[in-house]
Amino acid sequence: MLTLLRDLRHLRQTTALPAPERGHSLAIRHVDAGSCNGCEHELTLASSPYYDLQRYGFGIVASPRHADILLVTGAVTTRMRDPLLAAYQAMPEPRRVAAFGDCALGCGVLGLAGEFAGRLEDLIPVDIRIPGCPPTPDTIAAALTQLCDRGGRVAQDDTK
Amino acid sequence: MSAYREEVAQALADGCRFASLHASDQTVRAVLMARDGRPRLVEVTAPDRHIASIVDLVPAANWDEREAADVYGIRFGGHEPLRPLVDHDLDLGSWTVPVRGNDAYQVAVGPIHAGVIESGHFRFHVVGDRILHLDVRLFYKHRGLERAAEGANPDGGLAYAQRACAACAVSNTVAYAHAWEDALGSTPTDELARGRTILLELERLWSHLNDIAAICAGVGLAAGNNRFAGLTERARRLNAALTGHRFLFHTVAVGGSNLHLDADKIAFGRAELDALRDESRSAWRELLFNASFQARLPDVGVISSEDARLLGAVGPAARASGLADDARATSARLAYDGFAPVAPRRTAGDVQARLEQRAVELLQTFEILETLLNRPLAPAVANRGDNERAIGVGHVESPRGATVCIVERNQTRIERLRLRTGSYANWPVVAHAAAGNLLPDFPLINKSFELCYACADR
Repeated sequence: MLTLLRDLRHLRQTTALPAPERGHSLAIRHVDAGSCNGCEHELTLASSPYYDLQRYGFGIVASPRHADILLVTGAVTTRMRDPLLAAYQAMPEPRRVAAFGDCALGCGVLGLAGEFAGRLEDLIPVDIRIPGCPPTPDTIAAALTQLCDRGGRVAQDDTK
Repeated sequence: MSAYREEVAQALADGCRFASLHASDQTVRAVLMARDGRPRLVEVTAPDRHIASIVDLVPAANWDEREAADVYGIRFGGHEPLRPLVDHDLDLGSWTVPVRGNDAYQVAVGPIHAGVIESGHFRFHVVGDRILHLDVRLFYKHRGLERAAEGANPDGGLAYAQRACAACAVSNTVAYAHAWEDALGSTPTDELARGRTILLELERLWSHLNDIAAICAGVGLAAGNNRFAGLTERARRLNAALTGHRFLFHTVAVGGSNLHLDADKIAFGRAELDALRDESRSAWRELLFNASFQARLPDVGVISSEDARLLGAVGPAARASGLADDARATSARLAYDGFAPVAPRRTAGDVQARLEQRAVELLQTFEILETLLNRPLAPAVANRGDNERAIGVGHVESPRGATVCIVERNQTRIERLRLRTGSYANWPVVAHAAAGNLLPDFPLINKSFELCYACADR
């Protein structure tokens, strides 16, 4: 156990992102609306010692009631439409929606048209766009820390 | 007994293992794998779509028949009750097993889960904390990929196999490429086989590291989880350095490969793999000496050897239950010369055995990669042959177990694509493993299988 902790301390000191300067925090609720599992695997590693997003005040929370940001992966399937909307409606204001990955952004979606509920941004307003197939933890870290630096406010050019 | 059922029974008597069953229009095709890895195709056509079930002979065909019933309207005589699987339109009573008794109640979990997890629904029938039965309802992420691929040419269909699941992208696309090459009568050159085997083992490397991290997370051992998550990150960076993509996307093609690993990349890859092997060994030792972690693992989520065989369990989960099955041992199209499945000393079929299985397989993967990455890798083209057939079958050992891809073709167009992944085979096994255990242990049991939802749902 001591070796594990020593290794982790070493990783944090030598390889992790630089320590944050500001003190905001944002709670994230992730919803997989029909992904290929790539976005989930990369989002998981954004919490690994190489990125350690918790240090910037990001936490994945278990309930949309506790969330500031709804982070959506995958193109929305017909079967995930209602659960996704229910999660969004359960969030307190102010709330933000992040489209995570190319499928959530409506790019290059594969499958039968009839299995999808339409573009995410036609279902709920999208504030933050994180491109990639899947987005790398670097991209995730950059997008989220930028947002956090602004205290969760979305810049004008993000909403276009 | 119908000729179809007799053929299936005969194949089983000959030692074949069930691999897949699918419908295309009015025809149902079952694929069984002989001990030498050759597929045996058994088919039956019924214009009225009434076909005799084989679930009594092969319980592992349960999900396959339910899917064929939902998507193609096949009525399987003798499969009672034929519960919906892909179809979500019916009420709760139609797809759950009735569980009655004093204080029995249901706990509904999902489709949205509490962490960063794919979407799917679990309905636990419990008394107190004790799970009596689990009904798993997936297909929330059903994207119709198999049907969308119909009409595509070999290259065009590749994207659908890859998109089925990022975590199994190489396994699924190699199985797809093998299916087409089987149909077109072509065989891989040694260099092509070596390149694909390297990719498959790189996928297994990050996947097994990830699975060990996930099991640590399943018991709340943050230090172990973070250590192995860090190693997973390093393995994915290695993938990107060698191929340009962290999940090895776009590295597999039908009939050849553009993958080029020059001497510098080989040297970097070997050095990085040496470091990863040393560090994962050291981290693994720490887990072995962590008594409170180890105490959570034995006798949880037990799958007996007999149940694993009947339910058609595959991959590390099956081997941890004592089934020495591994598609790598019979993969004539890949570079697994002299491969023999490994097993831990203790094949109890519980969480501990499944965890240890990952650890011994990791060492094997490091050995295979060290052997195969001994010289630069050049782009390659498959040998053309003249032994063409209408239906091609690919069979690959993914990190989660045997994955089967079947291509039915019309010239160079896909008429029907079937992708039956290791996750699809093992989901019913997870449900079986949960029964009798405590509800709070389910995340741990689930993570000891660490299946994908995406490649089951497709």
